[in-house]
Amino acid sequence: MIVVLAAMAGTAVAQSKKKPAKGAKAPAKTPAPAPAPAPAKGSGDDAGEIEMNPDDTGAKGAAAGSAAPAGAGAGSGSSAVNPDEIDMGEPEKQQNDLKADLAISGNTGPVVATPIKKTPLSWQDIVVVIRKPFLKVRRTELFPFVGTTMNDNMIRHYSAGGELAYYLTDVLAVGVEGQYFAHSFQEPYDLVARQARRLPTLNEYKWSAALDFHYVPIYGKFAILDHKLVTWESFFTAGIGAGESEVIPRDTKFPGFTNLLIMPNVGASMRFFITKWVTVNLGIRDYIFYDHFEPRNRSETMFATAADAKDHAEGSLINNLMFQIGVSFWVPTSFEYTTFR
Amino acid sequence: MKTHTVLAVVAALAASGAVSPLAHADRRQNSLAADVAVRHRRLLVKNRFEFAPLFESTINADFRHVLGGGAKLEYHLGDMFSIGVIGVASTSLDTKLVDKIVPTLMTQQEKQTMVGNGVNVREPSRDEFVDRLNTMPFHGAAYLSLTPWYGKLAAFGQAYVAFDFYFQAGVAFAQLSSNCPVTICSDKFPGTSHTIKNPDGTMDTVPADLNPNNDPPLNDGSRVGLYLGGGIHVFLNDFLALDLTVRDYAFTDNPSGADFNADLFVSNADNRFLHHLFFGAGISVMLPTAVKRTP
Repeated sequence: MIVVLAAMAGTAVAQSKKKPAKGAKAPAKTPAPAPAPAPAKGSGDDAGEIEMNPDDTGAKGAAAGSAAPAGAGAGSGSSAVNPDEIDMGEPEKQQNDLKADLAISGNTGPVVATPIKKTPLSWQDIVVVIRKPFLKVRRTELFPFVGTTMNDNMIRHYSAGGELAYYLTDVLAVGVEGQYFAHSFQEPYDLVARQARRLPTLNEYKWSAALDFHYVPIYGKFAILDHKLVTWESFFTAGIGAGESEVIPRDTKFPGFTNLLIMPNVGASMRFFITKWVTVNLGIRDYIFYDHFEPRNRSETMFATAADAKDHAEGSLINNLMFQIGVSFWVPTSFEYTTFR
Repeated sequence: MKTHTVLAVVAALAASGAVSPLAHADRRQNSLAADVAVRHRRLLVKNRFEFAPLFESTINADFRHVLGGGAKLEYHLGDMFSIGVIGVASTSLDTKLVDKIVPTLMTQQEKQTMVGNGVNVREPSRDEFVDRLNTMPFHGAAYLSLTPWYGKLAAFGQAYVAFDFYFQAGVAFAQLSSNCPVTICSDKFPGTSHTIKNPDGTMDTVPADLNPNNDPPLNDGSRVGLYLGGGIHVFLNDFLALDLTVRDYAFTDNPSGADFNADLFVSNADNRFLHHLFFGAGISVMLPTAVKRTP
């Protein structure tokens, strides 16, 4: 943004220099009147006013230019630009001098009571803000993703899923998500069984789905190796959903059972803007639920059936913290800005 | 004829290769294309010392969480590269896994009673399980750091802060400790047979007991390994930054102090190269406190 700001600022400065330039061009075609002591800028009735319209510039510039010193008129506004005439230094300082502008406006004569006209007094008053390179409002995000468990060192779940989100505004969205889980056992699962002679009680997750709300409070950009600028944003998610888990029996001769889970979730994610319709998302999501596990001391005479075991299941509050990453596709694939640049 | 054709093709390719850069050179380009991404940028790290008191905690430790405080001292050689050291003194807390396992184990007295009755008990007692777990009183690293990304963000459209991402690699070191008393870790010849002298003067060979639960854990002492890290500075002002880092101290370890390779005794072979993941949070103080700007 800073580069563009600098570029825009440069544009603005270039325009300001054209005014006296055109003014200087006019006297070259017509006999120049004798130099007057009036200042080059803001002279006459337009004291302290900066003109943005190039069409008016010629006329006003001619009026002002007739009184402008030659140095102030350096740099031609015509199509035949002589690079040697462009002076990027001094005039800029003069035009940015607010005190000088105010002093000029105070010395032009007696104050006449006229309606107040709000005009910028200096180029410093003009703020140039780059437009956001990516708008999300009234667009739909299709986000296929993969994920993995972060906080369970016994069993690791991998998920593949997707989310469909609609952005009501540029910072608020509502969406639905679904994912399917697979799992693998980690080293401590075997280690505990072998070293402590204890079999861990574990459940595997089968699927989950949720209705989510997203809020985007953080927007930023960064430069990679001082050359490539990347914009990104961070958003928070809260949702409510359901899922299913299944008991992994410690002894495989006993059947497991499934649990239907109420699964609220919260999360924080980052989104990196790649093109107008592709982003890369990554984040952390905490799925919170109360799960039921296989009862202890299960035997052929105790909790042998799935129904009996489920009736005597031991419950525990679970935080399933998952890292998710994926590529989002946005529909419609383009967007239009609602404000002028 | 065939040779001539090949030569002609090679010559044509060479000519196209020679002409192509010229064509590119003639192409008109915006001068911003070769410019830096950001002008008048505050050099928040270049040629500055960084001192950061910090807090660290393990992520997903198996048996014992390591929590500690320490400091990071870093010198930024330029805008991207820096060198530094970090040291953290820690205490340890049992994980939930340990809390769940221990109550299900026998006490040492119960186990000795069963063994005395001729029962082969293969599970450890509570003391055998807990006393063999090691702790990490001190750890740290010396590293090189690369900061390839920097930027700024706006939070809630109000707070504008600068940040940078960095990645570190270097040498990790750790001091491990385990204090298994000789009453628990009593096997002086783990995994090997030995001879004893009988009262009548004869020698007997005692075979290995094949019980890893009474072997010394061999999981203490100094370790040197690999260090990897990645983090973010969030600058609160020109000289203070929130420093959030994930660090991986990788070195040989056997946190449980138990038999890992199932050879029924504990030896150095049970140590393996393990990753010790930590999350760290600190406040970085950049010195000198004044910053310079790029052109």
